[in-house]
Amino acid sequence: MGTAPAQLFPEYLVDTFGIDSVLGDVVASLIGAALVANIILAFSGVAGPWAKRKITAAFTDRIAVDRIGPYGLLIIPAAAVQLLAKELIVPEGVDRPTWDIAPILLPASAMLGFSVIPMGHIGPLNLHLADPEVGLALVFAFASIASVSLVMAGYASSNKYSLLGGLRAVAQNLAYEIPLIVTAMSVVIFAGTLQISGVVGAQTETLVTIAGISIPAWFAFVNPFAFVLFLTANMAEIGRNPFDIPEAPTEIVGGYQTEYSSAYFVLFYLGEFVHIFLGGAILSVVFLGGASGPGPESISFIWFVVKVWGFFLFTQWARAAIPRVRIDQLIEIGWKGMLVLSFANLVLTAVIVGVIA
Amino acid sequence: MSLERPDSVDDAAVERTPDELEALLGDLVVDRDDHLNAPGFVIRPDTVQETLSILKEQAGYDHLSVVSAQEYENRYESIYHLKKFDDPTQEVSIVVPADKDNPVSESAEPVFRTADWHEREAYDLIGVEYDDHPDLRRILLPETWQGHPLSMDYDKDRPQIATLPEHANPLQEHHKDAESDTMFLNIGPHHPATHGVLHLKTVLDGEQVVDVEPDIGYLHRSEEQMAQSGTYRHQIMPYPDRWDYISAGLLNEWAYARAAEDLADIEVPEYAQVIRTMGAEMCRIAAHMLALATFALDINGDFTATFMYAINDRERVQNLLEDLTGQRLMFNYFRLGGVVWDLPEPRDEFFSKTRDFLDHLPESVEEYHNLITSNEIFQMRTIDTGILPPEVAKNYGATGPVARGSGVDYDLRRDDPYGYYDELDWDVITEDGCDNFSRLLVRMREVEESAKIIEQCVDLLEDWPEDERNIQANVPRTLRPDDDTEIYRAVEAAKGELGIYIRADGTDKPARFKIRSPCFSNLQTLPEMANGEYIPDVVAALGSLDIVLGEVDR
Repeated sequence: MGTAPAQLFPEYLVDTFGIDSVLGDVVASLIGAALVANIILAFSGVAGPWAKRKITAAFTDRIAVDRIGPYGLLIIPAAAVQLLAKELIVPEGVDRPTWDIAPILLPASAMLGFSVIPMGHIGPLNLHLADPEVGLALVFAFASIASVSLVMAGYASSNKYSLLGGLRAVAQNLAYEIPLIVTAMSVVIFAGTLQISGVVGAQTETLVTIAGISIPAWFAFVNPFAFVLFLTANMAEIGRNPFDIPEAPTEIVGGYQTEYSSAYFVLFYLGEFVHIFLGGAILSVVFLGGASGPGPESISFIWFVVKVWGFFLFTQWARAAIPRVRIDQLIEIGWKGMLVLSFANLVLTAVIVGVIA
Repeated sequence: MSLERPDSVDDAAVERTPDELEALLGDLVVDRDDHLNAPGFVIRPDTVQETLSILKEQAGYDHLSVVSAQEYENRYESIYHLKKFDDPTQEVSIVVPADKDNPVSESAEPVFRTADWHEREAYDLIGVEYDDHPDLRRILLPETWQGHPLSMDYDKDRPQIATLPEHANPLQEHHKDAESDTMFLNIGPHHPATHGVLHLKTVLDGEQVVDVEPDIGYLHRSEEQMAQSGTYRHQIMPYPDRWDYISAGLLNEWAYARAAEDLADIEVPEYAQVIRTMGAEMCRIAAHMLALATFALDINGDFTATFMYAINDRERVQNLLEDLTGQRLMFNYFRLGGVVWDLPEPRDEFFSKTRDFLDHLPESVEEYHNLITSNEIFQMRTIDTGILPPEVAKNYGATGPVARGSGVDYDLRRDDPYGYYDELDWDVITEDGCDNFSRLLVRMREVEESAKIIEQCVDLLEDWPEDERNIQANVPRTLRPDDDTEIYRAVEAAKGELGIYIRADGTDKPARFKIRSPCFSNLQTLPEMANGEYIPDVVAALGSLDIVLGEVDR
């Protein structure tokens, strides 16, 4: 079962600076959390105002931002200033403080998920904050808090489009969360643990060696069927095409986020991007060998970035190319298709693992 | 050949002479009032339904093109312009005078559903009241408007108050239906899917649409009034570009040109007709490309590649139109009796550019088929949604790709030929699906037919002898068609039958100028398609109707 888990980031700090006390643990954890949060915020900062526009433009034969800075990169600070400088419009009749909490809850819940994600090494640093034994269950739990935020926003906005968006978000999440988790559980059967370092560790072994190149036992290679199922459910989980139904600007004008402006709008968008990255991170942990890749372990953070951004690119590609399904069709796919398939996959995996092991 | 109609054994398709029709109607006819395009029968205002029923059921006049109303010194008058879907050259006008002091006339709505909106418009703008109409309210102007703008005693200086009830808080008590669980939702006037300023009053049961009522008029610019204030020769032609402004300008101009030329008996030189045909089909491609682009936007969402791809292709044809007319949007290229100038010099360059575009087009269309029509999710979304059965389509006077997507084989370019269409080899496209998918498919295939037409026109123009390139007929400086001549003429515009009714009064300006907008009639079918469907399907159905509010509201 792979190598022993590397030392976690807060533990490394405690050891290095010799602050072995409760206070020291707290300080080390806070520093670690701040670092991880900033990495994710930086991802989102690049993705939102710049990368997403550039990627979409490439898919649709356009140029997109190129006026300020090299490759238009300075649009990032410009957009930040512009968005924060806008007036925050609070519509009459919104249900406060629910209305104010929702935009904070969305990015917070997604960010929380990263606490258990191993993000690979930068030199001696292992960017992994915590490794509880139920890590995988925990990360799904964190990710699902997002739907609570969407319902809160949809309900509290006192707008019918928002309400419809909120309702759609619940229906969609119910239909997809179960197949998502059941599919992930089939991986747990392989790995024999819910601990994330264990799941990643199980994927470091060599599956086959073809012409001197060893293919690692990533679960995407071991069980491609589960990978596709998980990828699809993950797209619904993060609400991107073909499942961007809770927003659906051409139908319900942005859904739950219709009434939000200025900083709240930014928070929602931030939350969505962090959520996409969390989706990519979960996908890479569960199916793509976490942060592992060719080369020494000390640069494995690069592989983590590649995998997560690869997933981001994939979501944008889907956006440019694939139509949106209708809400009733989505529910049908979720309950009648994916749920059955994911349970079939789970049972089959259990039987095969049981027979071999 | 493709332009011939299939043989019809139906009795209703038999052409009747005006006298035979008069005999069929018997005592209902009180007088004759022939128009240039059709025999006209004057009937009493309380026999409208009876007369139209006989014509519809026994004589096969199943297409009520338009209801045009107007006020005379001594009476009001509504004219029902009837045609046959099987042969639109068979026309008849039913003239219904109404009392000057008490203008009441029987509604035709029970016979033709399409009369609903047309009569509401006549009531709104002229002031004729239709008895037995299910819902006689203003349609283009706000409910609170005072007076009827196209009537004779209208005081245009009177201040008007227009309230905006849409701005009411949508969660107010009165929107709630205590008995049921339905929810009232305003879609529009500002909504990403309404393609302009359209307001859909929607009643939802969960996500399903129980009832939808289009509320139009936000873009009403008094186009008819403006045309009535312009002289025939030059001042009216710029306006049609502004009706369907989705670069269908030349098609619209042709509607006015055709009506006015027939009214003033102007013969257009053959060379100009070929140029007109080519330009019009370029406009059709541009318009259909935009329809395709925005439909992809409705189905796929904001970031779809198809939208930009189709806009790119539209841009190419737009460049050709710019070369030809000197304008990109408001062409003003047609003149009565021809076109304003010849093809751009050097001609070879224009021809080779056009051919480049045509060579590139099949590849693009193939790509659209790969991107959208052969995508399973797209098919799931559009097939069997927004159903419009052919009989319903006819009843509502739907024309153009909307009717042809329901299998109604009706295209004025073939059935009532004008321009150079009957000399060329092309096909009328129909699809039998009656759904959102079929309407899109019709447009995509029509683009290919238009390309065929343009190619043949280019061939003809290339070989046209230099000394026979006559772009304009001799037209008098001032046109004064004879007093009391009336004409209704239509062309196949991008969205369907675009017709113009003109009554001349002996001056150089029309006494009445009525626009029959295809989008106006097509939009009326939306509730038929939408009721019982989900919100996304309403959006798709609206997109597949391809309306332009500039033409709906005029």
